[in-house]
Amino acid sequence: MKLTWGAEEEAFRDELLAFLDAEVPEEIKGGRDWIGDESPEIPKWASEFQAKLFDHGWMVPSYPPELGGRNATPLQTLIFLEELASRGVSRSVHFGGYAIVGPSLLEFGNEQQKGMAPSAIRGDTVWCVGMSEPDAGSDLASLQTRAVPDGDSFIVTGQKVWTSYAMVAEKCFCYVRTDTSVAKHKGISVLIIDMDSPGLEVRPLRHLTGAIEFAEVFLNEVVVPKENLVGELNSGWRITMGSLAHERGALWVESVSSAQRALEGLVEIARRQGLEQDGVVRRKLAELYEEVHSLRALGYKGFASFAQGSSAPEHSFMKLATSELRQRIYAFGMELQGPYAAVVDPEFVEEGGRWQQSWQISLAGTIGGGTSEIQRNVVATRVLGLPRG
Amino acid sequence: MDFTLNEDQVLLRETARAMFGNECPPELVRDAFYDVTSSGPEAASSFFDRHLRDWAALGDAAVVDLCLFMEEAGRVLAPGPAWVNTSLFLPLLRAIEHPSADLVAAGEVTGTVAVCGSDGYWVLNNDPMRSFVPHANEVDVVAILSAGNQVSCVAVAELDLQEVATLDRSRPVFQFAVPAGLDSTEIGAEQLAVVLNRGTVALAAELIGVGRWLMDTTLEYVRERVQFDRPVGSFQGLQWKLVDAALLLERADAAVYYAAMCLDAGAPEQDRAVHVAKAAAGIAARRWARDGLQSLGGIGFTWEHDLHLRLRRAQASEQLLGSASWHHDRLAELIFAPD
Repeated sequence: MKLTWGAEEEAFRDELLAFLDAEVPEEIKGGRDWIGDESPEIPKWASEFQAKLFDHGWMVPSYPPELGGRNATPLQTLIFLEELASRGVSRSVHFGGYAIVGPSLLEFGNEQQKGMAPSAIRGDTVWCVGMSEPDAGSDLASLQTRAVPDGDSFIVTGQKVWTSYAMVAEKCFCYVRTDTSVAKHKGISVLIIDMDSPGLEVRPLRHLTGAIEFAEVFLNEVVVPKENLVGELNSGWRITMGSLAHERGALWVESVSSAQRALEGLVEIARRQGLEQDGVVRRKLAELYEEVHSLRALGYKGFASFAQGSSAPEHSFMKLATSELRQRIYAFGMELQGPYAAVVDPEFVEEGGRWQQSWQISLAGTIGGGTSEIQRNVVATRVLGLPRG
Repeated sequence: MDFTLNEDQVLLRETARAMFGNECPPELVRDAFYDVTSSGPEAASSFFDRHLRDWAALGDAAVVDLCLFMEEAGRVLAPGPAWVNTSLFLPLLRAIEHPSADLVAAGEVTGTVAVCGSDGYWVLNNDPMRSFVPHANEVDVVAILSAGNQVSCVAVAELDLQEVATLDRSRPVFQFAVPAGLDSTEIGAEQLAVVLNRGTVALAAELIGVGRWLMDTTLEYVRERVQFDRPVGSFQGLQWKLVDAALLLERADAAVYYAAMCLDAGAPEQDRAVHVAKAAAGIAARRWARDGLQSLGGIGFTWEHDLHLRLRRAQASEQLLGSASWHHDRLAELIFAPD
């Protein structure tokens, strides 16, 4: 066990920092707790930054140069994610393309589909991922959007919901039911669907925050060529497990770093609000500090197992722990503002309303990507080895 | 930041685990616990004499290594003064270049440290009394620390020890009046902090071991115990409680070894890391004692089940070298300190 990295890793870090210092757009230089705004349009600076990251091998460093990487080692990937996260810099404002679609096409697609991966990762083609449905949230495998074979095509009918960036996406990586006669996990397939297909309608759905980022997608007898099937027919459930295996050992970094930056912000608010000597505030901040820093250590510990090719049960805890922690940190940031906690007028509150905004966003963290309840069930059975209920 | 154990560390952990597994069965631990005769805990001292004196030199080793050992000791609740002798007494003698340090490392002389005044806080003072002195009846020498960073080593035989019964009979603590006119040596403030940090992280590692035993025992029980025709561990109400407790223990475990690495590297954040480690470990071990007991139900609330031994150790060790609240308050001082 040791605290420091080797010279090779530090050289990698130096090169990265030089790039970030020169290229991070002004719009996100100070770091942001959230992405997504009133407008669903992807800002120009974001597209340009993503393309630049790709062209310099900094988009997905573990990939080869033609896929926006530089064949980085797991350790270098950890350093990469850590440096980005500590600055609050996101690689992309639409993570589906580079984090889910690109890697899944590379792993499961045919040659022609693999060829679509670079533009998905570079952000030249914007993708959405059609997973959740009105009756298939946590129980994703019960999805009902039907794809019925018809000559050289599938006819797709159904509804997707909470589909991020559907209103600006060109293509949808869409999970559909292709066999109703078998167990629900075994009758799912993935189709690539053009968003301008006849019969496909997108209705933006505002977030609780007021921002427009996700949408409902209605599919009414949409004709999809059979060649748009990804992987084998009825093997779609396997593909849900696919996304970015290279980075799985370090996905926790972003959420821990975000919690850490927020915590540092809390200390500054406490100072500005004259609560520096308040015993309750001090103890609460110290408890949060303990939590943030022990979770970072836990992430590193899991990474050590991951980098050696072992399973890392530690990481099963990270999403659950960091999403709940961030909610408490942002809520405390509001509480520190006293009666102004509920005020959102930027003129009157700390940092233009950052805390109120981030608190609202953080409420999604325990729902999206697997609810905290599902996470607890998974940890109970898979990590603690408890019998299924 | 690399949590990978090297080969020597893997070997150390396996050797310690095998030794405790073979030589320190639950019966021995119970005997040590229940034997509170006036002659002292014989089972404890004989186990220490036969098996733990050989490990005293770990007090000179990397803190990570020391923690690997202490975690195993905590898991079985090894009787005797190994923690205080190895993690505090030996490093303290090294820091003041005491001539007996080599004898302590060789396992020939043993000792404990006396820090707290009557108030029980682990802060240097001029109180006429020293309290919460661990294992003083099982060692040869007591190192008394006093205000002004003064260290005096006194033979136990020269002290009038009074045991103060605590919840945890397996770690007896004593108080005594500080004799007048002791010779003393000054220890540098930084060196003293290093010694106390070392002892604190080692105690936190022991708490992790206590927590691991409680977690393993609880999970095993709820997998097997059937009520309403199903294992109680299949009930979601119990599962979620145990998941939350498991998270506390896993992050405390990582925090302890992170702090150990910081101490070994002399990292600037070492004080913060030690406060985090001890607070997290104390919270996690106590949580497992409580939730473990609740999960075991009636059998856990008996004298014959070994759970209560760990519940007592968790509760008592929380107070040694500072409770979670105490460490949180020290942490707050560092968080708000000007850079």
